[in-house]
Amino acid sequence: MFDLLKELCEIPAPSGREDAVREWIFEKVASYGACRVDALGNLLVLKQGRKRASVKLMLDAHMDEVGFIVTAVTEEGFLKFTTVGGIDPSVLLARRVIFLSGAAGVISAKPVHLMEGEERKKLPKTEALFIDIGASGRQDAEQYVLPGDMAVFDSSYSEFGEGLIKARAVDDRAGCAILIDLLRQEAEYDFYAAFTVQEEVGLRGARTAAFGLAPEAAIVIEATTAADIAGVAVEKQVCGLGKGPALSFMDGSTLYDKAYYDAAFAAAEEKSIPCQPKAAVAGGNNAGAIHASGEGVRTLAVSIPCRYLHSASCVSSRSDIEAAAALVREMTVRIASGTLR
Amino acid sequence: MNLQEILFALSEASGMGGLSGALDIAEREFSRYARVTTIGSGSLLAELPGENDYRILLDAHIDEIGMMVTSVDDDGFVRVAAAGGIDVRTLAAQPVTVWGTEPVPGVFCSTPPHLKKSSEDTVPELSELAVDTGLPGGRAKKLVAPGSRVTFSQNPAALQNGLVTGKSLDNRAGVAALLQTARDLYEAGSLPCTVTFLLSDQEELGCRGAKTAAFGLNPDEAVAVDVSFGNSPDVPSHKTGKLGGGAMLGISPVLSPFVTDRLQRLAHEEEIPVQPEVMGGATSTNADVISLTKSGVPCGLLSIPLRNMHTTVEVIQLEDIRSVSRLLTAYARSGGLSNNRRNER
Repeated sequence: MFDLLKELCEIPAPSGREDAVREWIFEKVASYGACRVDALGNLLVLKQGRKRASVKLMLDAHMDEVGFIVTAVTEEGFLKFTTVGGIDPSVLLARRVIFLSGAAGVISAKPVHLMEGEERKKLPKTEALFIDIGASGRQDAEQYVLPGDMAVFDSSYSEFGEGLIKARAVDDRAGCAILIDLLRQEAEYDFYAAFTVQEEVGLRGARTAAFGLAPEAAIVIEATTAADIAGVAVEKQVCGLGKGPALSFMDGSTLYDKAYYDAAFAAAEEKSIPCQPKAAVAGGNNAGAIHASGEGVRTLAVSIPCRYLHSASCVSSRSDIEAAAALVREMTVRIASGTLR
Repeated sequence: MNLQEILFALSEASGMGGLSGALDIAEREFSRYARVTTIGSGSLLAELPGENDYRILLDAHIDEIGMMVTSVDDDGFVRVAAAGGIDVRTLAAQPVTVWGTEPVPGVFCSTPPHLKKSSEDTVPELSELAVDTGLPGGRAKKLVAPGSRVTFSQNPAALQNGLVTGKSLDNRAGVAALLQTARDLYEAGSLPCTVTFLLSDQEELGCRGAKTAAFGLNPDEAVAVDVSFGNSPDVPSHKTGKLGGGAMLGISPVLSPFVTDRLQRLAHEEEIPVQPEVMGGATSTNADVISLTKSGVPCGLLSIPLRNMHTTVEVIQLEDIRSVSRLLTAYARSGGLSNNRRNER
């Protein structure tokens, strides 16, 4: 599964430009289920189980990542841009980016040496930033990059510390890796796998996927912020690495089904899978679009704790990803079988 | 290796506080052309003998900005202090290497948005930040101790039009320029006077390597090579040199007008692109200390224009490195000021 994750994290595919990662995933799963692609670009897979499902279940993992889109090319050949998805200015300044075309660029930073007093202690706003690709002027730049072209952080996958991974796009290629792995195994009950698009720009793919599939239940496999870092008080950490997947009871878009939430903890306990609550009402994920779809969908969110989310260096734990996979597999059986009415 | 390959190897390597990655590469490369010795706390000397022992010193600092570990906590998070001018604004989620008993990869922590006050755009102090080693406290403390060095991790890359980006182009670009000069002088054969290349340590901490090395060498004259501010939309153009505009020739009260003038005339004669960099006093380079060695050393300064100084995304134009090396080669082959000196005596 980590070989899958390494490759997935290195495919540049921001929201609205998921083709490359969808094609890669399609190749991996095509022989394991009936596949179709909807109008927005979601990859929907029906996995046949040994038994027919009593509850129509959809598993969701979004394929898109956060990135950058060029808004204008200046006379001098620099690129103005805006973010695609939410990226904090503090992780934008002075970073390497890579365009989908393969061209390299850097988000520039005015040297502190040339700043006066107050300016030194402030972060520039995103609108003040620009990307430098080494162009000699506008005409030259436009040979390589045009307004509307997209880029992502240029960052490669690596493992470090004790069982940790560092990569771009752990949110949500980790979810995709888990879902691909699940599809490649034998399933006890049928389920649908939805590799969705445009989550980072408003949970959009999940909306059309849920409409098209019309599930009764859903499990969203995501990544969520872990703030178990130096200087953050325990009660503000949300969740921690190494403690298993984080289960959401509520976030900015969803008040989650309590029975499913409790059942997930019970299943984790029974199967000795580490598990923790997401201890904050913060953020949101595709459950926001899915749970309120049609006449309503009972939804569970299983999230991989991830430090430095939406940066070039997301950090997660291998063991949490494995535990999340195990819990999702278990809950798929319990939900699809109808034992959790 | 061609210029870009050498520059990339130097850029990616670590070199500060005794870490010798960059020095090892430089030693291997300079050895092809000159007799090499390491001195002091991490400086390199390479000498090309000439017809007499009038000595021209060419200096480029080889150290990069970095950090030092001040403490390791029980959760494996490491606190650091700056060794050189660290741009704290650029540290969040930045990958680094902590040089403990073995190299330990790490990432600077980044405060998640939900924990930031909405209008917060102020930059924290370095002492408030920490490096995430991903290790449990016990193991981290075995591998890392206060005093361990910390360097940035960033591989270099090519941009368009001969521009390149990477960490530590300040001053590996200068080192590459000197290496190119050494090669050109070696291939040209005889030299009228001795040329000593100094890749000095600890410039970022106050030009310490150059100060002591120059004292030991007591050269007759010197030219320092460093980087300076390159053109960028957010900086007034009169404060920068243009990337691709050639070597920035330092003009300042503290630099020798004879060396400066000589460099200027040679550039004109040999059609080597140069652009002026005028300063009112100290240059903030090794030229400031080399010129005060013993009873004084006439010193000039050439700089390579560079964008985003002291970040991991520094950008330079390869052709500007070549302009610097061509000018230094011409300068050395002409004997620097040695003809003038002989006339004076």
